[in-house]
Formats: sequence, C-alpha cells, structure tokens
Amino acid sequence: MTAAALISRWTGPARRRGLLNDALLFAPIVLALSVLAWRLAGLPVGAAVLAVGVLVGLIVAWRRAARFDRPWLVGKLDGSRRDMEDSSELLFADPGTLGDLQTLQRQRLFDRLETGSPDALAADWRRRPIIAAWAVALVVIAGALLWPRGEDRPVVLSPAAESLPAVAGVPRLVGQNLRIIPPAYTGLPMRDEPRLDVRAPQGSRLEWTLRFEPEATVPALVTLGGAKMALRRSGDVWVASRVLDASFLYRVDAAAGRGPVPPLHRVDAIPDAPPSIRVVSPTESLSHVTEGQRTWTPVFAVTDDYGVAANARLRITLAMGEGENITFTEREIALTGSGSARDRRFSQRLDFAALGFGPGGDLVVQLIARDNRSPGPQEVRGPSLILRWPSANQAEGSGLEGMVTTTLPAYFRSQRQIIIDAEALVARQGRLSADDYSQRSFVIGGDQALLRARYSQFLGGETEGEPQLPTSEAGAQHTDDDGHDHGPRQAAPTFGVVEDVLAEFGHPHDDSPAASLDPETRELLRQAVDEMWQSEVQLKQGRPDLALPHANRALNFIKEVQRATRIFLQRVGPKLPPIDPTRRMTGEREGIASRRLPLAPVEAGDGPVAAAWRALGQGPEAVRGPVVLDALERWIGANGDRLPDALALSGAVDAVRRDPDCASCRQRLRALLWTAMERPTGDLVRRRPADDAGARYLGALEGGG
Amino acid sequence: MTPKLILAVVLTCGVLAAWVRLILWSRSAAREARGAPWRVAVLLALQPVCAALLFFCLFPPGVRLASGALTIATAGAPASATGARVITLPEAPAIAGAEPAPDLGTALRRHPDTRRITVLGRGLTARDRDAAKGIAIDFEPAPLPRGLAALNGPQRVAPGARFEIGGGLSRLSGATVDLIDPAGRVTDTQKADADGRFILSGTTRSAGLTTFVVRVRSGGRVVEQADVPVQVDDGAAPRLLIMAGAPGPEVKYLRRWATDAGFAVTVRTTAGGGVEIGDAPVAVNSGTLRGFDAAIIDDRSWAGLGAGRAEVLAAVRGGMGLVLRSGGVPEDGAPAQWRSLGFTVSGSGEPVAIALPAATDADIARTRRGIPAPDASSDLDIDEEFLPEIRRLAATPGGDGAVPVVRDAGGATLAAWRALGRGRVAVFTGIDSFGLTLTGRNDLYGDWWGTMLSTVARPAAGAALAFAGPAWVGDRVALCGLATDARVEKPDGTLTTVRVGPGAGRCAGFWPTASGWHLLRTTSAGAGEQVWPFYVQPADRLAGVRAARDRDATLMLRNAGPARSDAAVRSPEVPGSPWPWFFAWLAAAGGLWWFERSGLGRLTARP
Repeated sequence: MTAAALISRWTGPARRRGLLNDALLFAPIVLALSVLAWRLAGLPVGAAVLAVGVLVGLIVAWRRAARFDRPWLVGKLDGSRRDMEDSSELLFADPGTLGDLQTLQRQRLFDRLETGSPDALAADWRRRPIIAAWAVALVVIAGALLWPRGEDRPVVLSPAAESLPAVAGVPRLVGQNLRIIPPAYTGLPMRDEPRLDVRAPQGSRLEWTLRFEPEATVPALVTLGGAKMALRRSGDVWVASRVLDASFLYRVDAAAGRGPVPPLHRVDAIPDAPPSIRVVSPTESLSHVTEGQRTWTPVFAVTDDYGVAANARLRITLAMGEGENITFTEREIALTGSGSARDRRFSQRLDFAALGFGPGGDLVVQLIARDNRSPGPQEVRGPSLILRWPSANQAEGSGLEGMVTTTLPAYFRSQRQIIIDAEALVARQGRLSADDYSQRSFVIGGDQALLRARYSQFLGGETEGEPQLPTSEAGAQHTDDDGHDHGPRQAAPTFGVVEDVLAEFGHPHDDSPAASLDPETRELLRQAVDEMWQSEVQLKQGRPDLALPHANRALNFIKEVQRATRIFLQRVGPKLPPIDPTRRMTGEREGIASRRLPLAPVEAGDGPVAAAWRALGQGPEAVRGPVVLDALERWIGANGDRLPDALALSGAVDAVRRDPDCASCRQRLRALLWTAMERPTGDLVRRRPADDAGARYLGALEGGG
Repeated sequence: MTPKLILAVVLTCGVLAAWVRLILWSRSAAREARGAPWRVAVLLALQPVCAALLFFCLFPPGVRLASGALTIATAGAPASATGARVITLPEAPAIAGAEPAPDLGTALRRHPDTRRITVLGRGLTARDRDAAKGIAIDFEPAPLPRGLAALNGPQRVAPGARFEIGGGLSRLSGATVDLIDPAGRVTDTQKADADGRFILSGTTRSAGLTTFVVRVRSGGRVVEQADVPVQVDDGAAPRLLIMAGAPGPEVKYLRRWATDAGFAVTVRTTAGGGVEIGDAPVAVNSGTLRGFDAAIIDDRSWAGLGAGRAEVLAAVRGGMGLVLRSGGVPEDGAPAQWRSLGFTVSGSGEPVAIALPAATDADIARTRRGIPAPDASSDLDIDEEFLPEIRRLAATPGGDGAVPVVRDAGGATLAAWRALGRGRVAVFTGIDSFGLTLTGRNDLYGDWWGTMLSTVARPAAGAALAFAGPAWVGDRVALCGLATDARVEKPDGTLTTVRVGPGAGRCAGFWPTASGWHLLRTTSAGAGEQVWPFYVQPADRLAGVRAARDRDATLMLRNAGPARSDAAVRSPEVPGSPWPWFFAWLAAAGGLWWFERSGLGRLTARP
C-alpha cells in the first residue's frame, strides 16, 4: 500500500465530513443573501449573488479540503490513537531508510492500524453553528419573502367626492383609490391617493380601484378626448391601470352615460427634468494661464431631480497654433462624480504637458452629463470653458482691445539709459578734460530734458515751467489751463520717435492723455518729473555725480508707475473724410428707379378665444345662455402647445358646457382664457373730437389769443 | 285768488253783514231790548275780532324764529358725539339720545329753525348734498379708513396696450400694492411711497370688458382688495403716412410694426435723385393729407418738403397728427425744426443712450406677455436681462403747452406733443428705437409708438360718455352727455330707461342696484345704437375712496356756502301754530255768545 493510497484512505471520511460541515454552514448564508438581494434588487441580482456565493463557496471548500494532508493525518493518528505510540510518522516513511527497530515498529503500527477505522478520524458534526446558521437564514429568508411589498399592500378605498346627486337605480362611485407606482429609477415609493386628481412622475403606473353602488355593469374611465379605459371587475371593486405618459383629463363614467355627468379629474405627468450643469470653478468662462501654472482643474456641479449618472464625459478641445495655422484636437475623457445622486460634482485635473497644451493655445472643456432616466437617459452639455495661454509674441488682444498701449516701458528704458550714460561719464571723469566732461554731461542733460518733457505730457504740461520746452506748443491762443494740451507735435528727431505712436497715429487734441490717469499715478509721475528736473539741472551744470541720485529716484518712481498701472489712452473713433456734396448722384444711374416695396401684414389673432372671452363677460357681446364653445375647443386642440395649461382650459370648457348656468365655471373659464390670448400689438385708442367749445378754444390758442 | 284772500273776503262780508244787522236791529228794537248803547258797541266791536281770530286760526301768521344749529352725524362719527341737537343719518353709528333721520332734508324740515349744521364723521353723501346747500356747514372731517383713499384706473385702453393705475393709501405706511390680472396672477407689485401713493401697470389683451384687482397688503395681511374696471376698446385703425429722407432700419421696422398692427400705411422713402422707395407715391397737399390720420416724418424729409411743410401744418390744424422724428444726424437740424413748431429744446443734441427699464421678475413678465404667436419659434428665449443700447438726441423738447408723452426709465422726455389747431404735433427724440424689436422688446417699442400715435392721431368720430369716477350700488350715478333718453342694461340683462334732465350737461341719473358692468345704450338716428359701458362697485368696496369723495364734496360745500353773518341772514319764516288762535277765537266767540245772551247792560231784566 503506497503512502498516497494510505493517506487517501485514512483522510477520506474526514475530508467528506469537513466538506459537508462547511457546506451546511455556508449554504444558508448564501441562500439568505441571495433571497435578500432578490427581494431588494430583483431577480437578476439575486441570481448573481447566488452564483457568486456558490462559486466562492466552492473555492473556499477546495482550499479547506487541502488541509487534510499527511501532517494532518500523522498528527491526528498520534493524537487520537494511543496504540500508534506517537510514531505514526513511520507509516509514511520510506522503508529503505529505516533501521531494524523502526521497521519492526512500522510493521507493528500497520498491524494495529487496521484495528481502527478511518471514520474515527472524521471531525464531529458542527451541530451548533450549523443549526444557528440555518435558523438565522430561515428567519431572514422568511422575513424577506413575507415582508409586505408595496404593490401587494391592500388597497383601502376612500369615499368618493364626485358630489353627484344620487339617482335611484343608477350606479355611482362610492369608493376610490388611485395607486401610483413611480418608475423604479426615480427611487420614489409607491403611494396611494385618496383623490382622483393627482400629479405623478411621467412613466408611473396608475392603478385605479373603484367601487360603485349599486353595482355597475359597464363602468369605464373616459378621457376628455373620448378614449375609454375599461375597468376590470375584481371581487366587489373595479380596477384599471395605465402607464402615465402624458397629462390627461378623465371622468369616471359609472353608468355608461345614464344619470348626471360626473366631474372631470386631472392627472398631471411631471416630466423628468434634464440635469443642469453649473460651473463651480473657474468663475469666468474665459480664463488665462497664470505664470507657472502647469495644471487646470475645472469643477462642475450637476443636479437633477431624480439622479445624475455617476459617469460623465469631459470633452476637451485643444486649439494650438497661430494665425491661419491652427490645429484642433478633440478628445473625450470619462469622469466619475462624487457626492449624492441628485447633486454630483465632477472635476478633472488637466495636465498641460499630457494634453500638449502650450503657449498660444486655447483649451476648451465641456462637460456632458446624463441623468438616470430609464429608458433613455437625458444628456445635457454644459457651458464651454476656455483656458487661454497667451503666446509670448502675441500682442495683448487686437482690434479695439488694442487701445491699451504699453508706452511706458520705452520711456522707462530711456531713463535707465541716462543713468548708465551718467555713471559711465562719472567713471571716466579722470580721463576727460573738464570742458569735455561738462560738454558730455550737458548732452546727457539734454536727453534728460526731452524725457522729462515726454512725461510732462501725461500731466497735461502742468509741471512745465522755465525753460521753455520743445514739447510745449507755444501760441498766443493757448494757455496751460485751457483744458487740454497739444501733445508733442514735432518732438525731437533723435529720441523717443519710435514710441511716439500717440502723436503719429492718434489725435490727442481732444482730450489730454492725463485725463485717463488716476490720481495716484499722476502723483507718482509728478514726483518722477520733479526728480528728472533736478537731474537735468545737475547734468546741464556738468555735475553728473550729483544728478545720479535724482535720476535713480526718478527711475524708481517710474518703476512704481509701471507696477501700479497701465496707461489707457482715449479711444479714438475713425475720422472719415468729409462728404463732398458735389459728387453725389453723379455716377452711373442706369437701372436705378423708384420701386414699390409691398409688405404683407402678419396674420395674427386669437379669434375663438377672444370671442368666447367676450361672450362669457358682461359686455355688449355677452351671451347669457349657453355659449357655443366648439370653435374654442378646436382652437385649443390645434394650439395646445402655445398655451400655458391647455388641459385646464379644456377642463374649464367642459365644465361650462356641462352646466351653462354655473357662474363660477364661466368665471373660471374666462380667467383661463385671459392666459390663452395673444397680446395684440400696436392698437390705438383714438381720442374723441373736441366739442364745439373745445374746438373754439383750440382755435383761439392757434390764433395767438 | 288764493284761499287766504277768499277767506278774508268772506269774513269781511260776514262782519259787514253782522254789523248791518246789528245796527238795523238796534234801531228797530225797543229801548229795553236794546239796552245800553255800550252793549251794542261791544257787540259791534267783537264781530271783527272773532272774524280776525278765525282767519288767523285757519291761516296762522308766520313766525320768525331765532337761528338754530343742528349736529348731523354721518358715517364714522364718534359714538360719543354731543352737540346742540344730534341727528343721525342712516349711515351713522348709533348715538345715544340722538334723533334718527332718513336724510338731511327730513331733518331740516323737522327742525325748521336750523341755520347752521355741524357735520360729524366723514361727510354728507350725494343724497344729502343738495339739501345742504344754503346752510352754513361746520365740518371737521374724520380720518379716512385705513386702506385705499384714491384709485384711478384707465378710461379706455387699446387692445394689448400697457396701462397704469394710480392710487393713494391712507393711514398705511410701508404697504405693498399688487395688481392682479383677470386670470388671478399678480402682474405688478409696488411699494407705496411715503405718502401712500403708488402706480401700477398692466397689459391688456383683446377688446372687451374686464376687471383687474388691486390688492393692498401690509404686514403680511391683505388690508383691502378692490376691482378696477378696464375697458379695452378696439378703435378704428388709423391711416398712417410715413416719410423718410433716406432708407433705414428705423423706417423699415416702423412700417413693419404699423402694418402688422393693421394700420393703412403709406411709406414714402426718398433715396436721392428723385428715386422713391415704398408705396405708391403720394403728393403732399391738403387733399391727400385729409386722407391720413397721422404722419411720421423724419427731419431730413421735413427739411426737403419745402412748401409742403405749410400744407402739412395746415392738415395738422385740421386735426391730423404729426410726429417728427430725427434720423440721428445732428447736422440735419432736428432741434431747430422742433423749435419752429413751438417747442423749446434744451440739451446738446448729441446722441446719448436711453435708460431702458430694468428687467422685471420672470413670473411677472410672463403675465404681461400673451401667448407666443403661432410662428414664433418655441425656443426663442431672449435673456430678459439683456438691454439693447438705444439712443436718443440729448435734446429735451418742452415749452408752453408741450406735454411729455413718452419718458425713459431715467425720466428723460423721449417724446412730447403740443396742440396745433385741432391737431397735435409730437416730436420723438429717439433715433434707433428699432433696436428694441430686434432684441425682443417689441412690447416697449409698441408702447412708445402706440402711445405717441394714440396721442396725436386724428380723433375718431364719436362722443364720449361723461361718467366720472367710481360708482357704487345704491349711490346715484350721473350719466352725462346724452342726446336722448337712454337705456341702461344691468348685469342681469334687464333694461332701465333713464331720462335726460334739464341742464347743459344733458345728464341722467341712475341708481344702480347690482354691481358689475352696466351698459348704457342710446339710439340716435345718425349713429345707430351706441353702447357705453360703465362699472358699478359693490356698496361695501372702496370705502376709503367713497369716504374721500364725500369728505371732499362736503368740504367743497363748506367753502361754497357763503360766509354769511347773522345780521345778513333773515331768519326763516315758518307757519305758526293755529292752536292759540283757535282757542282765542273760541273764547271770543263763546264770550260773544254769552254776552249776547246775558243780561249785562240790558235796561230791564228779561221776563
């Protein structure tokens, strides 16, 4: 007998017992879970849970069966049988490797082994856990199966409220209930309505349970359009059901047309609203890449009345390139939302490098979200968000936005140039003659004067004084306080010409550029100009070393100005050349002649509505008896989509037709007709002619009296 | 011959006959029987005395009474009122010790010596005001009840037009006033200002009679609610002449608007060089202009009219309406043209933006719109908050007799009119109002142009019913301007004939018994049957307005009554009581009888 056969024979019963134990313990758990899943989530889920449970059970059983191996058997034999004398290991040892004593012992063991049975090694039944598990599982299963389901809840009839007179022998409604079972995806519970007028989510199943007295023979639910829903007898009540796909009006016709006409009831279908997407961040639809930004994380909030699908898509459009060489790439990535089903948040961190987004490009993202409507989820697209990465060499905006100019940096560099020049001059002081030194200093001083004049221009020339500067257009008719300045008409040909776009292309005569400066900037500029003036004085006196502190302070002020603000120049409209009247109508005029332009008025009017409205009122066209409403009814049928509430109007028409003397019904219909009328345009109320005295008075006024 | 004279003659004859008989008898009778001469003289003397007493018994002489005062308690009088003699009129609260009277006239007849009345409470009603004329009145009005004190609705409104309702509240601060449309929706909500005044606006639909409701709320409670009658009148569409010096969007959309509104529109647009675009050309002369009710002419074509200008102005004097608008080019000189028509013009004349009204609440805006037109695309959802930039010339027309007719949300005058003969001429300072129609604000566009044309267009034939103010059930309504007797159709359809009384106003009185719309129907040979609706409020509604009306009318009576001094007033003469005279006559006649039968003065005793 080989060792394997020996093990197999002696572990077999124990393995079978172990498997049975496990199965008996695990089966109730799986069964209970499956039944629970079936009841809570439907049959497919229950079956899936069962399948998964069985699979898991098999795997666990297989793994647990593997524990019955040789060491287990040796340990079990040694532990349970005294006659094995703690040497059952010898049973499985290779006889060739054993000594005599061991062989003898092994033989003895083999002989003794057969005195026992392998069944003795099997573990006991695990009675208590098994019984407990089955008990619990049975309770759970019974609970799940017997727990009252909504749709099985008994119907409790409410008294009818048709307010109809009782006629002997004619059936009439005495008990009613309307059960509303909303579509599963809404997650709304079933509900019982004691009234027959309800509002329910679109797609709900409606179940009427009605009782008539005396017993009806052929009752029906009749919609206003004339369609009938048959009622089915069920014991002493009548039932009907229907899926609510659109709002409708109906009445319970208990007696098939005999007896009084019952009132109308209204069932409103509440359509599932599409989800709405709100952008949480960024707050602007167009944002710009900031310095050092590497990623962008737009955040969207999506709300819906019943639930937002957990997955949405983010459409990313990337526009790269400049001018006519722009390439678009478009991709969609899936997002998973967080938060409750009705209010989910979607966000995605977009890495510029991964997307290939770079300077000069536009990154446009749009969220596409769905709700959980079934069938046919509603999909909406959110607003597009643009992230713009301005290219380095692209001017700030173009066209009209281009009125923002950055003229100050040019000036600012010039002031720095003056400082550099002055410092160089000071450094070379020893090597230059005194005359040469002061001559060069004077030249720099001239540059400083020009620069100062340029800055003075922004201040309306108010800091100008002696000496007369070339930027000041001297003229007898102009003074410094005449409300404007006149800009540097000629300027110095050597300096600042390139930057002088204002004078070259603009027309600064109307408003001083200073008018567009805020007070702080003005003050800073004034201080800068003061310092320049000091610097200029020192330079022209041949003392560049004394000028340098002033020049540096001026530079600092200009830096502050540059940091503080940009200078906005006045927008200048195009100046068209004047019209030359003598050239008018002098060209080719063939084919140009007077023409008729016929114009047909738009057909408008709400004839039947207005006619019915007047007929129901108290005016000259009022009709006190029954009003003919057929034309109105046809009009409502044809124009229902234009009306705010066509159903209510139809109901009111029906009420008036049923009872022409009902004053409140007429009033209600008239009120509803007001909401169903167009608002005519352009009608006039003409005044009445003046009477004789009035005409005489007006004539006297005209006569100058 | 009055009864008095007849009686005097009969009595005189009787006295003379008695004298003759006495004298004859005394001559013929024996001296014994005759008695002493003084006895005859007494008998003779007593005859005229008896006759005179009998006369005065039957016609007692008037008595001049000392001047008296009455205290009249009307609605709202304090229950603790005291005074000379307190009379309570039916609407007054119960006052202990006061004398009730059905009306003031009765009270004055009961107290003929009354020369001055003191009115307590809110004032005399229409019933009593005629009786109070000629009597000095002291009146310190009681405060008006809390709620509406004035409510002025529109007279007639065009179909689809916007209208305004003004009113005032008394003893309510911080109240909110809602206007509820006939469908029961709130169509306007305003807070009353510090003085309690408010202006609400609404829009109408098709022609017909309807009522809006004004609801006053304060502190979360409804204080008062009242119906406002609105008569929507479908007037005759005018014939309109539009002249433009150049083609442009303004004239295009004006023509479109007027054509859709059903006007008979003739457009004459000059394109230069004698080329005209539009409808069949019309000559501008008095004959053709008589066929138009209004003309809209821009500044360039007005300048190019030349001699035609005089023809147009002559037509305006004959009743035509004229609207001068500007093409927006200041060089065309619109302000100068306006000045030549009698307006003063202030402002620079440069184009500036018009302040448009801010968007209203979406729910309220929905109640002001009608249903969409059949061809309007259903997804046309113009953002209510979007306001187009519409400009006007910064030139405000004004001057003597100029009436602003259209103002923008900032209060600047967009259009003003003044009378010229029997016609009217208006100027419009807007230059690109067409932008409103392109941005979904057709309502504002129609409001502006409709208001202007309503104001200036040639009057439509027909007379107006002079019917002032609200009327109440049980309150006399004066219907004036009637040519003949007329019939009033009550809300239940029954007819009542009203008679035109004497007087220049040609008024008829009517006492309504039911609330609601009443129809006054007149039949005349020329115009056939004409129908004028008027609305009667329930007796218990608008109590504050009614009280204010009574108060004001009573105050007017107080002022209208001459401030007569006691000396200047002759106290009234009233018939005296006959009873003293009767007893005097009885005593005299009895004495005479006794004297004649007695032996007094007889010479011998009777046997």
